[in-house]
Amino acid sequence: MYDINRAESAVTQQDIKISAKDVQVYYGDKHAIKDVNVEILDKTVTAFIGPSGCGKSTFLRCINRMNDTIPIARIEGKIALDGEDIYDRRVDPVQLRAKVGMVFQKPNPFPKSIYDNVAYGPRIHGLSRNKAELDEIVEKSLRGAALWNEVKDRLNEPGTGLSGGQQQRLCIARAVATAPEVLLMDEPCSALDPIATGQVEELIDQLRSEYSVVIVTHSMQQAARVSQKTAFFHLGNLVEYGETDDIFTKPQDSRTEAYISGRIG
Amino acid sequence: MPLSWALLASLLLAVAGYLIGRSRAYATAGSDIRNLHSRPTYHGASVALLTLTPAIIVMIVASLLRMAKTLSPEAAGLVGLFALAAAIAGLGWGITRIGAGYQARNVVERIVLGVLIFCSSIAILTTAGIVLSLIFETGHFFQKYNWLGFFFGTEWTPRFQGNSALGILPLLWGTLYISVIALLVAVPIGMFAAIYMSEYASKRVRGIAKPAIEILAGIPTIVYGLFALITVGPMLRDYFAQPLGLGNSGSSVLTAGLVMGIMLIPFVSSLSDDIINAVPQSMRDGALGLGSTPSETIRQVVLPAALPGVVGAVLLAASRAIGETMIVVLGAGAAARLGLNPFEAMTTITVKIVSQLTGDNDFAAPETLVAFALGLTLFVITLGLNIVALYIVRKYREQYE
Amino acid sequence: MTDLPMPQSGAMPAPKSSLMVADARTRRRNAAEKRFRLYGAGAIGIAMIALVVLLSSIISGGAGAFRQTYLSIPVALDAETLDPKGNRNLDEMSKVLTLSYGKVLDRAVEAAVASSGIEIAELAEKDIDNLVSKEASAHLRDRVLADPELVGQTVDVNVLVNGRIDGYFKGRVTMESAAADSNTSPQQLMLADALREQGVLVTRFNWDFITNPDASDQRPEAAGVGVAILGSFYMMLVVLLLAVPIGVAASIYLEEFAPKNRWTDVIEVNISNLAAVPSIVFGILGLAAFINFAGLPQSAPIVGGLVLTLMTLPTIIISTRAALKAVPPSIRDAALGVGASKMQSVFHHVLPLAMPGILTGTIIGLAQALGETAPLLLIGMVAFVREFPAAPPEGLFDPASALPVQVYNWTQRADPAFIERASGAIIVLLIFLFCMNLLAIFLRRRFERRW
Repeated sequence: MYDINRAESAVTQQDIKISAKDVQVYYGDKHAIKDVNVEILDKTVTAFIGPSGCGKSTFLRCINRMNDTIPIARIEGKIALDGEDIYDRRVDPVQLRAKVGMVFQKPNPFPKSIYDNVAYGPRIHGLSRNKAELDEIVEKSLRGAALWNEVKDRLNEPGTGLSGGQQQRLCIARAVATAPEVLLMDEPCSALDPIATGQVEELIDQLRSEYSVVIVTHSMQQAARVSQKTAFFHLGNLVEYGETDDIFTKPQDSRTEAYISGRIG
Repeated sequence: MPLSWALLASLLLAVAGYLIGRSRAYATAGSDIRNLHSRPTYHGASVALLTLTPAIIVMIVASLLRMAKTLSPEAAGLVGLFALAAAIAGLGWGITRIGAGYQARNVVERIVLGVLIFCSSIAILTTAGIVLSLIFETGHFFQKYNWLGFFFGTEWTPRFQGNSALGILPLLWGTLYISVIALLVAVPIGMFAAIYMSEYASKRVRGIAKPAIEILAGIPTIVYGLFALITVGPMLRDYFAQPLGLGNSGSSVLTAGLVMGIMLIPFVSSLSDDIINAVPQSMRDGALGLGSTPSETIRQVVLPAALPGVVGAVLLAASRAIGETMIVVLGAGAAARLGLNPFEAMTTITVKIVSQLTGDNDFAAPETLVAFALGLTLFVITLGLNIVALYIVRKYREQYE
Repeated sequence: MTDLPMPQSGAMPAPKSSLMVADARTRRRNAAEKRFRLYGAGAIGIAMIALVVLLSSIISGGAGAFRQTYLSIPVALDAETLDPKGNRNLDEMSKVLTLSYGKVLDRAVEAAVASSGIEIAELAEKDIDNLVSKEASAHLRDRVLADPELVGQTVDVNVLVNGRIDGYFKGRVTMESAAADSNTSPQQLMLADALREQGVLVTRFNWDFITNPDASDQRPEAAGVGVAILGSFYMMLVVLLLAVPIGVAASIYLEEFAPKNRWTDVIEVNISNLAAVPSIVFGILGLAAFINFAGLPQSAPIVGGLVLTLMTLPTIIISTRAALKAVPPSIRDAALGVGASKMQSVFHHVLPLAMPGILTGTIIGLAQALGETAPLLLIGMVAFVREFPAAPPEGLFDPASALPVQVYNWTQRADPAFIERASGAIIVLLIFLFCMNLLAIFLRRRFERRW
């Protein structure tokens, strides 16, 4: 499946999925992200934490170029996916976003049936050859999002009729169905109740076996529960990045310590 | 005009009442105006309003009676005196009420509120006036002309000497034919223009295109009518109809339809703009985040979500097209015809309302009265479309609020 | 939960591929994207082209109305014809008909042509006499009656030239069309050319178009929009005096005081539906209610103004309510908090803050009313009016025309010269509308406030 060069590069950069170098983001005159350098590993859950307005969501949206949709946003530096610069002129953001899926803060199912919601990605990217394959993808994705048993009898009902937690899992299933390599999640539980949050967190843990997952959260407990790596952002800077256990037990930077002990944020 | 003199006199009395009321209030208050319930200016205003209101009520009632012809011209001459008497009575009563405990502000505010309520009821009165005048005269028409012949007649040939055929079907056909052409022009262009401006256009393009489309919206319909008459009509005739052997009339269904379509572009585009922007951004983000192209996002997510709103907008545009007058008067022609050739002149309901009601009208002849029946039909059709459209649009808006 | 989405061959064919190379499907999708964009740009383009063609066809067709050809010649005002009794008595002089002045003028034109020394074969006397407009003799009569001492003298006059000659200089009439036209002839046009070279015929800016009243079918060269402008102005006055106070009062009630009950619901639905009722229906209402029922005169600006008031009311109410709604509730609370009554808080605080928005909406409503034609046709504004209406308030009851109706009126005339007049009248109308909209934009820019 791979050509030789790619196979070699996959060996040398074995686990690094995304690497960011000197990333700057400006919103108009505002310098929103300053000098961010980070390497995100494959098959790992990486959490971005920090007080609100620290730039963690902004940085997340850089990874699949969602910031392109904001006219005043400007990005400098280099972000590479599997060693390829995603801001290269030749890269088509549409193709990139098929590889780097995204789940948003508020559940945003399309005003279509549950089935069509999940089938949307595979359809536009042409991932199935026939209806049977598509059915298979939809079922797998819904199972993957731990939603299949709840909705299998009403796949033709509108996705907007589900409860908040179900809607968010539907959105995760929708993202998974596109067969991405990286899954970005922007505070996926902030609009959910504790039970739904638990279900989604469990799901994130399982998704790790297949994808590189990056999750933005404002809840330190959540970061501690689901992630293996944690990055702490403060005022647009990446302050500290390391093993989640280390960040929460022996933070190197005083700002990190202040944040996790509740003194800032 | 004695009435205008009476009005002037009442106004002067009101001004005098204001001054008297205010000074009396000062006098009553003595050294400290905090003894009063309301400020002295309110006492003045209350006297002025109590003077003016009865006089104006007398005048309005008298004019209404006069219009209904229940008041003889001799009696009408006395109206001014009656109004003046009412004003003086109001003035006297107003002055006697002034005192420390008199709640002048509440009186003033109650009268002002009454005026506000009256003003807001004028919209209702207008509708009632429209409905009554249409129904009343349509009733007269149907006494002289069989309603079956009107609604199902396929021939429209009014004659001065009577014995006219006044069937609405050819007019209705012309109206609908022209409206459909207009919508075929306006809906795609208007929607694509709105989509392009809200999703693609750079700031510079938007800065030029948006005002241009707004100008299109501000141009009166008579201008479009003249455009149809002197430019579009002859052009279609010379370059399409005659070479194709389809007719040699400058005014045609296509002329009127095309120009009306241009007129409706800004209408459709501004409605679509509202509707497209009502679809929440999170929905677009969802689609873009899955790797949709912007056009896929619009076609497969935004437009389906906006569908009810779009349907409402199209209905509103259709109602506009059906009620439009000047473009069809100048562009469509006057021949009532049931045909399919778009290069032929046809006519519409509105054209015939104009032609039957301009000039010297004989309000006993069915040829004149038929205009009211046409008007009522037009009113019912457009009102029905509007009610349905507004209902759909309102439901749609609530969905995303 | 062990059924994780394991990519299997077939079901999920997602080969790892380079981002730098667009695959075939992506290329196809991007092509579709480009096409879609192109449709959008095309739609904008069509709308812009339509606007440009519309405006340029009207302007190029109507620019001619602002230029007019005049003949300047000396006229001997023969005392025997114009003042037979010789006592310069105005009453007796006014018995002399326009016809006699026509003869005086004919003689003067013939003399002018003779003295110019122009020789044109087969030039008939009729061609020379018809050089001037039929309106010219009436103008001359007005001038003499205004100053009886002129009789017996020879005065220099500028008289309107026949519409065909004027059309010839504007390119509307050609030698070929003149040969087939009973109102002119190629010889007459040649004469006109020669006279122009000598400076006897001059084309200059046509103030008369803006100040003159309408003229009859045979005299397009004399037709102007004076009465129509005045009539439109009177109607706007009525709309301003009625629609604005009523509209603002209604909006204040609905927005600030109205309880939420069925009656106010009915009013709300009513207003939004009234805004979409075809304008011609308002014309029927005006005819039935104001003319047939109330007995007001036909063709009067007061009736037109009333009809336009009812039409404009919904527009003004809708925009005024939007302006009131935009004033934040904190302002109302602040006023109520210091002990103002509800009425005081509205009139002292909310209304002044909403004023710029109300003004903008009002001007836009007035602009709409100014361009409205259809309802005015039904209340007799289409009648031929040559007399200027008196000053208000009496003048509101005199017959008058209106700018858009004048345009319609001229399109119904046989002589194509009236199409030029109609386009010219539209240019005047558009200039008024442009100024009103400019004012609205200025007010919005100047006073716009963001909360």
